[in-house]
Amino acid sequence: MAVLRAERTPARSAPLSETSVLGWLRKNLFSSWINIILTIVSIYIIYITVTGLWVWGVTDAVWVAKDRRDCFDISIDGACWAGVIVWLDNFFYGRYPRAELWRVNLGGLLLFLWMAPLWLPRVKDKIFIGLTTVFLYPFLAGYFFAGGDKGLFMQVMISLAIVALIGQTLHAIIGVSSGRGLPEYLIRLLGKEEASEARQRHTLLAILAGALVVAFVGQMGWSFVGVSWTKWGGMFLTLVISGIGIASALPLGIILALGRRSKLPVIRVLSTAFIELFRSVPLITVLFMATTMFPLFMPEGFVLNKLVQVIIAVCLFSGCYMAETVRAGLQAIPHGQYEAAHTVGLGYWGTMGLVVMPQALKHMIPNIVGSFIGLLKDTTLVSIIGLFDVLGMLRAVSQDIPWRGLHKEPLIFGAVLFFVICFAMSKYSRHLEVKLSAGDNR
Amino acid sequence: MKFTRLLTLAASAFALIVAGSVGASAQSTLEIVKKRGLLRCQVGPPAPGFYNLDANGEWYGSDVSICQAVAAAIFGDKTKLEIQSVSSQVRFTALANGESDLLSRTATWTLLRDTQLGLDFTAINFYDGQGFVVPKDTGIKSALELKGATVCVLTGTTTELNLADFSRVNNLDISPVTFEDTNVRNDTYLAGGCDAMTNDKSSLAASMAAFPNPGDHLVLPETISKEPLAPAVRQGDAQWFDIVKWTVYVLIGAEELGITQANVDDMRANATNPSVRRILGAEGNLNEGLGLSKDWAYNIIKAVGNYGEIYEAYMGGGKLGIGIDRAGSANALWTQGGLMYSPPFR
Repeated sequence: MAVLRAERTPARSAPLSETSVLGWLRKNLFSSWINIILTIVSIYIIYITVTGLWVWGVTDAVWVAKDRRDCFDISIDGACWAGVIVWLDNFFYGRYPRAELWRVNLGGLLLFLWMAPLWLPRVKDKIFIGLTTVFLYPFLAGYFFAGGDKGLFMQVMISLAIVALIGQTLHAIIGVSSGRGLPEYLIRLLGKEEASEARQRHTLLAILAGALVVAFVGQMGWSFVGVSWTKWGGMFLTLVISGIGIASALPLGIILALGRRSKLPVIRVLSTAFIELFRSVPLITVLFMATTMFPLFMPEGFVLNKLVQVIIAVCLFSGCYMAETVRAGLQAIPHGQYEAAHTVGLGYWGTMGLVVMPQALKHMIPNIVGSFIGLLKDTTLVSIIGLFDVLGMLRAVSQDIPWRGLHKEPLIFGAVLFFVICFAMSKYSRHLEVKLSAGDNR
Repeated sequence: MKFTRLLTLAASAFALIVAGSVGASAQSTLEIVKKRGLLRCQVGPPAPGFYNLDANGEWYGSDVSICQAVAAAIFGDKTKLEIQSVSSQVRFTALANGESDLLSRTATWTLLRDTQLGLDFTAINFYDGQGFVVPKDTGIKSALELKGATVCVLTGTTTELNLADFSRVNNLDISPVTFEDTNVRNDTYLAGGCDAMTNDKSSLAASMAAFPNPGDHLVLPETISKEPLAPAVRQGDAQWFDIVKWTVYVLIGAEELGITQANVDDMRANATNPSVRRILGAEGNLNEGLGLSKDWAYNIIKAVGNYGEIYEAYMGGGKLGIGIDRAGSANALWTQGGLMYSPPFR
């Protein structure tokens, strides 16, 4: 019985059950009697749910009607999307004056323009761009949203923001096309490549100062009608509150986490107390405290903007949660990294900024994005203290006389809206993780 | 939510203490409002008839009209107004801490609230009361026939307590089914989850009008509670209290005297009735004690109309109304058998 043969046996094709659709179905869905029953029952449940929703939400639905009674008259069993459509402006912008909506849109568009260089390859100085996003963009956007009279400080900040925006957009364009930065390009343009470094720096500073003056003069002739914060609302308000909360959570969280791990007792105790205090209280309580109790402690006649109170409360709250996330990330870094950093002569900030944080932040991304998503959804709590954020508006539809009782459709719309935003954030975080851990998979 | 309630209570108690000192030492509310150039008026989360947001984000409703009337009385311009919508947990605190100047929302005037929360109720502008709604095909004609019934009710409100009292007094053995949200309660009732539904009659009317077939349901005649609704102000500023109180009276008085938004100009120029001439500022000096301009009442009526017009628009059969009959109810004028009565303008 010769088992060994000189020539190779020809490769056989994979069994039919591994390659064909039928084979897959048989293997995964119909392999035993129990599985067959489960499959059929599940398919039936999915079928009735989907068709039910489809009939209610699409085929029987009413898209154009003048009020809910009209919807009922057209189709009594279907969804009444007409009310949602009529209320769309309220959902997105709240009570913002309808003639000024473009300001909100433009403000949002500017954020995209501002942050676009961060996502583009070959652009340098991304940290600087990130910093201007956090420190300058809010002033420009804030003026777009709020309008009214500009104080001198505001005028300066707006001019800086305009110069930063134009500068970094040019920087990004030049970066993408030639891989160089704006300063280098300007120097070449002026033919000063040969000049000394100090001279080049002075030239650049002069250009910057000139641009600032032009921007300052330019913005003086430019003003918007004031829109009180009480008119802000809808998704716009939700994004403003959670956006500021998200932007400030990370810096605040890092500072608090470092404070909590500090060797200086005072800083450590204060940071720990602060974190534990805010973390052990529900957000709604913090909001109530900020909006109803806080004014009582203030001098008489001093009415602080409720929106500012809410934003401060949200920032502190999210900062404390972030601090614990950051601390967890810091603890994951082996001690050898600190020692290695010390050996090459780095001090405390050098160790943290160049060695520890970059590694720790990478590990923290899922948790950080998780808390951002949580914050975005928690922000809807402000509807309880009387701000008409998106949830407040979605619930107000059912009280408006023409659309009285219409409450399922707006809430479904809201659920879809939140899903889209949160899912996008989650996907982006996944993308970041993959990108940043590319080094680990070599 | 228990914790939240405790906190609210603590906040209210604290506000009460502070409000006392604020009221005593402050400049008058009228001066503050005039200096600010804006009246801050507090309403609640949207509720049909009283305060609603429309699709353009504008407020409308009968309590909103009261806010507009006060703004018109002070500034001659009803748009110099900031409407604040505050949840019921913090409504009294927000008034006490000076966030709002005036509370014009469905807050029932009760002795405890009047005496213990540092606020004063001005003049009643709506008499509400708790009632029941049942499907017509049950054949029930009176709330006393609800023996052993399950009744849908909103939790955390006095309606729940009133229902329990009513059931006990009349030996009805009603079992309540409680809800947090009006819409969910309505859906449950419509799906047959309870035999009847109870709430303030204004709110019942509003809910019922939104049913697919309103004609299949019936509001029972009994009213089991008293819910007088009145705008409220901070305690300790008598002038401000008078301004708000007399603004409500102007609305009622104007209806009694036949002054409407449409004929107010004509009335001011040509009326011979001395009451009309006094109220509109054509003669006399009714305005002086209030610290307002001579045409304050004219401005009110010009801006929002009289009480009857407001009622018709938002409570009655108007396009934005919730359709509650006024005739024969407590909200009719005293001359027509109701309780709406203003002291004389002289």
